[in-house]
Amino acid sequence: MTKARMRIAECGVVVIGLVGGALPAQSTPQTTKADAIVIRNATIVPVTSARIQNGTIVLRNGRIEAVGANVNAPSDATVIDGTGLFVYPGMIDAGTQLGLTEIGSVPGGEDTQEIGDFNPHNVAVTAVNPHSELIPVTRVNGVTTAITSAEGGLISGQAGLIDLMGWTPTDMAVRRQAAMVVNYPSLGGGGFGGGGGRFGGGDQSDAERRAELDRRTRALRSYFADAKAYADVKARATNSGARKVNQAMEAMIPVIRGEMPVIFDVTTADQIRGVLALADTFKLKVVLRGAREAWRLADTLAMRRIPVIVGPTTSVPGAEDPYDMTYANPGVLARAGVKIAFQTSDAANSRNLPYNAALAVAYGLDADAALRALTINAAEMFGVADRIGSLEPGKVANVVVTTGDPMDVRSVVRHLFIRGQSLPLDDRHTRLYEQFRARPRTGS
Amino acid sequence: MRTIAMVLAAAAFTATATPGTAQQRPAPRDTTTKRLSYPVPPAARLVAITNATIMTVAKGTIPKGTIVIRDGKIAAVGADVAVPAGAQVIDGNGKFVIPGIVDAHSHSAAEAINEGTQSITAQVRMEDVLRQDALGLYRELAGGVTTLNILHGSANTIGGQNATVKVRWGLPADSLLFEGAPPGIKFALGENVRQTNRTVLPGQERRYPRTRMGVEELLRDAFTRAQEYRREWQAYERARKSAKKGQAPVPPKRDLQLDALVEVLEGKRLVHCHSYRADEILMMLQVAKDFGFRVASFQHVLEGYKVADEIAAAGSGASTFADNWAYKLEAWDAIPHNAALMAERGVRVSINSDSDERARRLYQEAAKAMHYGGASEEEALKMITLHPAWQLGIDKRVGSIEVGKDADLAIFNGHPFAPAARVEMTLIDGRVFFDRNTAPTLEYLMELIRQQQGPRQVTEVVP
Repeated sequence: MTKARMRIAECGVVVIGLVGGALPAQSTPQTTKADAIVIRNATIVPVTSARIQNGTIVLRNGRIEAVGANVNAPSDATVIDGTGLFVYPGMIDAGTQLGLTEIGSVPGGEDTQEIGDFNPHNVAVTAVNPHSELIPVTRVNGVTTAITSAEGGLISGQAGLIDLMGWTPTDMAVRRQAAMVVNYPSLGGGGFGGGGGRFGGGDQSDAERRAELDRRTRALRSYFADAKAYADVKARATNSGARKVNQAMEAMIPVIRGEMPVIFDVTTADQIRGVLALADTFKLKVVLRGAREAWRLADTLAMRRIPVIVGPTTSVPGAEDPYDMTYANPGVLARAGVKIAFQTSDAANSRNLPYNAALAVAYGLDADAALRALTINAAEMFGVADRIGSLEPGKVANVVVTTGDPMDVRSVVRHLFIRGQSLPLDDRHTRLYEQFRARPRTGS
Repeated sequence: MRTIAMVLAAAAFTATATPGTAQQRPAPRDTTTKRLSYPVPPAARLVAITNATIMTVAKGTIPKGTIVIRDGKIAAVGADVAVPAGAQVIDGNGKFVIPGIVDAHSHSAAEAINEGTQSITAQVRMEDVLRQDALGLYRELAGGVTTLNILHGSANTIGGQNATVKVRWGLPADSLLFEGAPPGIKFALGENVRQTNRTVLPGQERRYPRTRMGVEELLRDAFTRAQEYRREWQAYERARKSAKKGQAPVPPKRDLQLDALVEVLEGKRLVHCHSYRADEILMMLQVAKDFGFRVASFQHVLEGYKVADEIAAAGSGASTFADNWAYKLEAWDAIPHNAALMAERGVRVSINSDSDERARRLYQEAAKAMHYGGASEEEALKMITLHPAWQLGIDKRVGSIEVGKDADLAIFNGHPFAPAARVEMTLIDGRVFFDRNTAPTLEYLMELIRQQQGPRQVTEVVP
């Protein structure tokens, strides 16, 4: 029996599909329902409390029923021996295009970029393909939950918070409308990998680029002003008053009321200052994302309790920046007291989320802080910390069982549960691997 | 921006020190110093790295050992090696030393990458467009990379001649070239060569070839021409030797493109072939066999796992990404198990970057061969050291820590595959080209701001 096959077989409750055979919807569970699952003798890392040696965790009806050192296994439970293994909450990638993209160069599968600058009414979850091959590839590395959204324009649309399992987009959604995504304009020239609504070609002069930046910054600000006016008028309107409904403006109402978080994709300190000013005017609930120059404003962000989704750390700093800036920025922020989470800003390799965090740990981020940033912090940013992000009784059973620290590339996932469902650890990649590993040797 | 220039200038005044030890950095004096003034300390004749865990790659790991470097070469390595008198000592206590990382696919330092006007441009050379001040080089040093294969792009069936370089950042451009490295050339197959994903502007013509069959035809045509060209020269040489005085024959017209291809036919120039799909890999192997040359390395080779036996039998290497996939159709069957599976089938595999970003953390990329497909630690380490060196024909010089080899070394703060792995120091020919202790880090930049503008300005407060 091959290694990968063995790993699958170890999931006691999994129904194994034939490798290379008919492939049912890949992000959907292929499990039978057991009453309860118990993982015993494992090192349990709840994240929100101290790690438990030789601990037990009980999953039932999609929830965590009990976790601790002295928990008795219910008699009806399927038991997994966790000796030598570690149990973590599923990780959350706070910035992806999962479900909205399949093969980058094939336009038919791409729903990541809408026409126009203002698309607040576009809801990413609408277009999430639950059967994307990228989804199982991501979750088998322990990423169980993701923010997914379109990009581009100035207001890109509404991000969804999804669990990486489900028959329909609605099944997957933890929060269908988790946040508004704003691509804050910048002058450009910030190097690769940053966010920031860059524009302009090489032909533009500095003055032209500045003028364009001003124009776009004003356009964004006046859009928020329009939204505020729209919301005010609507609040005052009586039932009899005739009013034209504007879908985009309707979508902005929870934003302008400070109910829906706004993810601002930014790179530079200048952009962050711009976001803060905008937030002050319109009383926005701000989450910064990307933000590799956020270290310059760490104290401000801590004081104002503005959370930052950092990353990808796997991006090259600007030409004038210290060589380790993208790696070191998360540590500086966390030490200043800023709440951070991680994003890959990717889809195909969202699975590398924990390795993004590892690079930050290598350059100064505390390892426990990194683990919180990979789990509970993102849940807090989007108002779902009562449901996911840690191993606590009553929470949704998004649980990953590994051979070691998930940030260690050498660790592998042995069991995976989303909403208490045991999921097979196979995906497009393991199937191809098994198929060609079995190819008879050729002399050639 | 002034700040980075200040940081680099400040670094200029600090001497090389042991990695990881706290050291007071002098305040910057010259804020106008340009980036290129970053100093590379001259090589000490005699250097000893002591008490380090030494991952030799070729001969196992020494838990606590010493490496002695004399005149840029490794003079001794082992657990019981004495430190010679007068040696500059680098305290390796708690550190891991590995051979300098070799990246078999890079475009760093290249001012131009694709001569994309024709599909065969064997005559152009990457060594003509190298910049020693490219920042990517510095960042790669900071990731423990010491040797790069700087390749022409993949726009052409037969692209330009590659340059194997050592990352001697900050020295004059001609110091970059890896002296004695065999010459090579870039080939490419598949979507890029066919210009599949290229937007054709109105009025613009499509370039031949547009199919994988066309790619094969171009290769066969090019090598047929090269054979004829070689015969012309052979005939000329024979005629010249037998010619009577005053009756010297006229030499054939020199063709720089075919010169390079004749070198390929004669095994003097290594072929590094960009490839994705299994079918095109097999096609290339057949063409090479028919014309009597070996493909030194298949680059990317994302479906190499499907034809690993054939690649191994031909004696070709495979240089792949750790886990890139799905960015185009020909990358749809890419699997992260590719490296481990090809290795299992006897192919010498390297993990490359093809990117200034990935190049900075190839050690993390290599560990993915353990994660996917279960390669051993030694095999994974070989994928970024000895195997790429072999693919570039420089494995007698670099790629492992052995007596007589170049002292190209990366010193880590701990195990290179551990989550908190960080490069502390990088040496090339025994010379310290990167030292985190004196490097312009973010932490140091913040310290500078603190010194110059006061603590409140380090992270400004916006009310």
